[in-house]
Amino acid sequence: MSSAEIPSDPVLASGMKRRRKFLSYNLIVLLLPGIVLLVLLLLLPLATIVVESFRQYVPGRVGGSFDAPFTLANYVALFHPVYINYLTTMLWCASIATLTALVMSYPIAYLIARTKSHTIRIAVIGLLVGLLFLSALVRVYSLELSFGSVGLGRTIATLMGISSNSSSYAIFLVIIGLIHHSIPLAALLMTSTIQNINPRLVEASQALGAPLWRAHLSVTLPLSMPGVLSAFLVCYTINLSAFVVPMILGKGKIQFLSNLVYDRYAELANFPSGSAIAMQLLVVTLVITYGIGWVLRRWTREGAGA
Amino acid sequence: MTRLVDDFWKMAALGLLAVTLVFLIGPLIVAVSMSLDARGYLAPFPPKSLSLRWYAAFFGNEVFVFGLRNSLILGFSATLISAAAGTLAALALVNHDFRGKPLLSALFLSPLIFPAVVVGLALLIFFSRLGIFNGFFRLLCAHVVVTIPFTVRAALASLAGIRRSYVEAAMSLGANERQAFWDITFPLAKTGIFAGCIFAFAYSLDDVAVSLFLYDTNSTTLPVALVGHMRADFDLSVAAAATFLALITVLLIVILDRIVGLDRVVGQGLYR
Repeated sequence: MSSAEIPSDPVLASGMKRRRKFLSYNLIVLLLPGIVLLVLLLLLPLATIVVESFRQYVPGRVGGSFDAPFTLANYVALFHPVYINYLTTMLWCASIATLTALVMSYPIAYLIARTKSHTIRIAVIGLLVGLLFLSALVRVYSLELSFGSVGLGRTIATLMGISSNSSSYAIFLVIIGLIHHSIPLAALLMTSTIQNINPRLVEASQALGAPLWRAHLSVTLPLSMPGVLSAFLVCYTINLSAFVVPMILGKGKIQFLSNLVYDRYAELANFPSGSAIAMQLLVVTLVITYGIGWVLRRWTREGAGA
Repeated sequence: MTRLVDDFWKMAALGLLAVTLVFLIGPLIVAVSMSLDARGYLAPFPPKSLSLRWYAAFFGNEVFVFGLRNSLILGFSATLISAAAGTLAALALVNHDFRGKPLLSALFLSPLIFPAVVVGLALLIFFSRLGIFNGFFRLLCAHVVVTIPFTVRAALASLAGIRRSYVEAAMSLGANERQAFWDITFPLAKTGIFAGCIFAFAYSLDDVAVSLFLYDTNSTTLPVALVGHMRADFDLSVAAAATFLALITVLLIVILDRIVGLDRVVGQGLYR
């Protein structure tokens, strides 16, 4: 780094030498609080549940099982069809919600990036940031009032040919909730990419005879792929670890892995099994987001090269 | 022909935009108007006549008021600690090159990657091993950890924008490291750090997934109380609470706009 070089001016040089020494001593002081907090309150607790997930469950012992023998039973149980079913429902809901949210937020991102009116731009950004800050409970409660049985619930359910009390309608509500949560984030993430695309490129392809939709499809969309990808990954991660949305809107008919973890604690006090499900959730989230991220990046790079 | 097809797609895009905006805002309008419903039971939208009875019910409910008080105390203290630790760490990460720096930055941002429930359960088991059962202390620790990514990131962004030469100039004129920090670096970085604080505070005020594992009856937070209420009985005092929380959100947005400007959230872009 050039800023770290010692300047030729002797006064400045001595000052910087003094500063460097002072800072290297300070470095530890600066980093210590943060490192202590994260090691003590994040890494050690995570290590604890890794160990806990291998313990045998002793019923009736609240607070976990200190000295219970080790076992793989908590993980073996996860391969039972019931758990596989929980996992696939969660993956399916999160995928549908993320993809729909991306399609719905692209026009908003485009509007913010391209509108000539400063007022519209600030109003829409304000709305999105507001929705981002909005308490998850407010979101869930409003959606329940609007799409639940007091709201449009019965109408929509009848149109879909199902009962508003069925688990299919609960899935629908959960997906609605996840979409509502994802749109603000996705739109804000994509805006920054879209406003870096030169609008002249679309004009150029139009001048060469492409219709506007074709110009957007073959110019704007491919160029905004990095933003779309990062929005996809962030929203997918968030949807996979969603907790409040499936808990309230799913009404116990739909449970994500997060809800299972909480029920293991709150209803059964089975900490070993809860820890194993928590590990499964963690691994699924990390593998899927990093895996999909890797595949998508490769895919777009090849697409750009072709 | 081309014009016709173009118009069709333009209309389709505008239609989708309109549907999305209605979908985003509509439910909130429903909740706010239902919170003013004069009927004593949960009935279909729209309300026939208006009253403030549900607000009276919300503010008359001891559990909610106690929860709100706890949430505010918790939010302020967690944000303060998180901002202090986060800013110190960001100072080290911006001004120094050392081995393991990428690893450390990843560590400071990592609480965002772990699902909140995993962090909640992990802290619960960890604290019970240590024999720590004080609800407020456990919540404070948890909220500091989950908000650290916001404060670190905001401080990193604003510190990186400060030219080294300003600090160098101050030091060449005889200021020591502490004076240079308080007179130059901090005044320039404070708006960014404050924006991080707002994000951290909003996150703490909203958290359910971590808090549900760690609270006790003396430290119930508002979201925890609301979740309990919503699962037991879906009445409209929650609508009043929701409106109240939405107003807090609006307040935070206005503060954020006054301090940093909402435009900065998405950056200016090359072609604006």
